[in-house]
Amino acid sequence: MTSETLPYTSYLKEKTGIMSWLFTLDHKRIGLMYLYGIVAFFLVGATLGLLMRFELLNPGKDLVDPHTYNQIFTLHGVIMIFLFIIPSIPAVFGNFFLPLLLGTDDVAFPKLNLLSFWLYVLGAFFALATLIFGDGPADTGWTFYAPYSVKTGTNVTMSVLAAFILGFSSILTGLNFIVTIHRLRTPKMGFNQMPLFAWSLYATSWIQLLATPVIGITLLMIVAERMFGIGLFDPSIGGDPILYQHMFWIYSHPAVYIMALPAMGIVSEILPTFSQRTIFGYKAIAYSSMAIAFIGYFVWGHHMFTSGMSGPAAYIFSILTFLVAIPTSIKVFNWVSTLYKGSIVIEVPLLFMLAFIFNFLIGGLTGLALGALAADVHLHDTYFVVGHFHYVMFGGTGFAFFGALHYWFPKMWGKMYNKTRAYIGFAILFVGFNILYFPMLILGIQGMPRRYYDYLPEFTFLNQVSTVGSWITVTGLIIIIVNLIVSGRNGKKATDNPWNGITLEWQTKSPPPLHNFDKMPTIPERGPYDYPNAKRG
Amino acid sequence: MENNKHEHITSYKEHFSTWLALILLTFMTVFVSVFGADLRTLSVATAMLIATIKATAVAYYFMHLKYEPKIYKAMMAVVLALFAFFMIMITIDYLTR
Ligand code: HEM
Ligand SMILES: [Cu+2]
Repeated sequence: MTSETLPYTSYLKEKTGIMSWLFTLDHKRIGLMYLYGIVAFFLVGATLGLLMRFELLNPGKDLVDPHTYNQIFTLHGVIMIFLFIIPSIPAVFGNFFLPLLLGTDDVAFPKLNLLSFWLYVLGAFFALATLIFGDGPADTGWTFYAPYSVKTGTNVTMSVLAAFILGFSSILTGLNFIVTIHRLRTPKMGFNQMPLFAWSLYATSWIQLLATPVIGITLLMIVAERMFGIGLFDPSIGGDPILYQHMFWIYSHPAVYIMALPAMGIVSEILPTFSQRTIFGYKAIAYSSMAIAFIGYFVWGHHMFTSGMSGPAAYIFSILTFLVAIPTSIKVFNWVSTLYKGSIVIEVPLLFMLAFIFNFLIGGLTGLALGALAADVHLHDTYFVVGHFHYVMFGGTGFAFFGALHYWFPKMWGKMYNKTRAYIGFAILFVGFNILYFPMLILGIQGMPRRYYDYLPEFTFLNQVSTVGSWITVTGLIIIIVNLIVSGRNGKKATDNPWNGITLEWQTKSPPPLHNFDKMPTIPERGPYDYPNAKRG
Repeated sequence: MENNKHEHITSYKEHFSTWLALILLTFMTVFVSVFGADLRTLSVATAMLIATIKATAVAYYFMHLKYEPKIYKAMMAVVLALFAFFMIMITIDYLTR
């Protein structure tokens, strides 16, 4: 909160030229480069989603043939999972804001950080190269289930290697954050004085570090099986396809918490700021992040209830799955209690967070329906699942991502966005999103299977509603993104602390100087959310 | 940790006995796989068990885990426990399928 007239050089102006970006070691610039890459891939993925919805406008063929449709949903899934949602919040906002929130000048290993970015670029190149090399992108679904993935003629090897490389990028980010949180907190900031976003990144990083190697080895096994016919997974040469599913989900279930936990951290940052009130249950939120990360390792089998796994294994996994609901609902109750009697200021970032809670609630509750063994036998591989995970990933993490972008936009670029347009964009996105995905839940219960380019005539109406929803959703997205780009170029200058936040990033200038803080930031005495003007009692 | 970079000098005796133990365990692995054919499924389990003991010995003595603070040992233990859980659940699935 120093005087704004003093001249200083922001991290954006410190050095110029393309090389100063591509080889920067500054965590803020690396975060921005990730942002541009990730948003670009999000748009590619969304375009593919739009294409699928076009195909599903009427029964029968509208646009593409079945084989192409299979490739489209696979590429959509791979891009959305590995290039958008897993890196999204940690790689962009974690990189940019973790050091600021901890009051330090960079992450622990800046060079590893740059390497991790370049691995992301390389992995993205591999994923897209499947469009050109071999017999086109994989048509297996993003899960690469064996034995089909071993037998199909499409370019599975390259898609799988893309995921492998992106896994390394993710591991390095996780490692970097763990060490940063342990070693680089500003003096006097104990673990329990850390902002909750840092806690959520800490929990996430442990998953990235410990679970990702499992998918790495599994994907290499697929490649080995394709090249040498070893017989690991393909039953016709003595393998076990269910073993593949075990290994795949030992990573991929914890990975859904790589997607969800950082988003929950964002909510825990934004809600207190816009209610100007101490977060309710700081420790409960912090430790429930760790609990979610931990319990997340024990439930992978709920993806395999109908796969031929044994009955006893299925019961055990179903029971364990219900445990995850406990720490998750602890968070939701604490968030709602934070709003209670706060001095609420309705701004776009807050609206995104409220939308997060709404969508995530639907996503979470439908998840419990899927975790219940008997219900899943009916719902497995139907559109209910497609609805469920879009509610969690897009409605949850996607909304948190765009909310965070609006919350921290003034800090990142030193400009304020046009609030009216942001509000309109948000409203259209929220309405469109629900029109797009809610019908899928109903379609699924009625029995429409996922991963088909066609459907029975009785499903026509709800599919058309959903497709119209996809147009509304994309309109909202375009308004939001164009508004941010335009505002970044010629928006009004933002102050250092436009939202009256008290976490440390608001104590430096907007945009911050290269080394983040000109003088040591002061940490609030009674915890990171002790708002000076808050009502007490 | 940052300032106390004290050197840990391990005796030749300790190095040598660790090495000897590793060699013996390797012989055991070979022995089990060649002569223990009637152990059937258990032969895999035995090989895994021996490999785990060897890895632990390497981490503990050669990689100086024994000098590290408790927190690192706890982290190692948690990771090992998770891995054990993965194996146990997959095995339950196999045995009851
Ligand atoms: C404009 C936005 C989007 C649209 C219109 C859309 C549409 C769809 C549709 C229709 C399917 C089902 C394909 C089928 O089973 O036949 C699908 C699958 C999928 N979507 Fe989306 N989606 C969008 C955004 C997202 C986002 C943001 C994510 C993740 C963050 C995501 C992740 C996935 C995944 C993982 C699959 C499964 C692919 C597979 O079955 O292998 N989508 N999407
Ligand atoms: Cu799961």
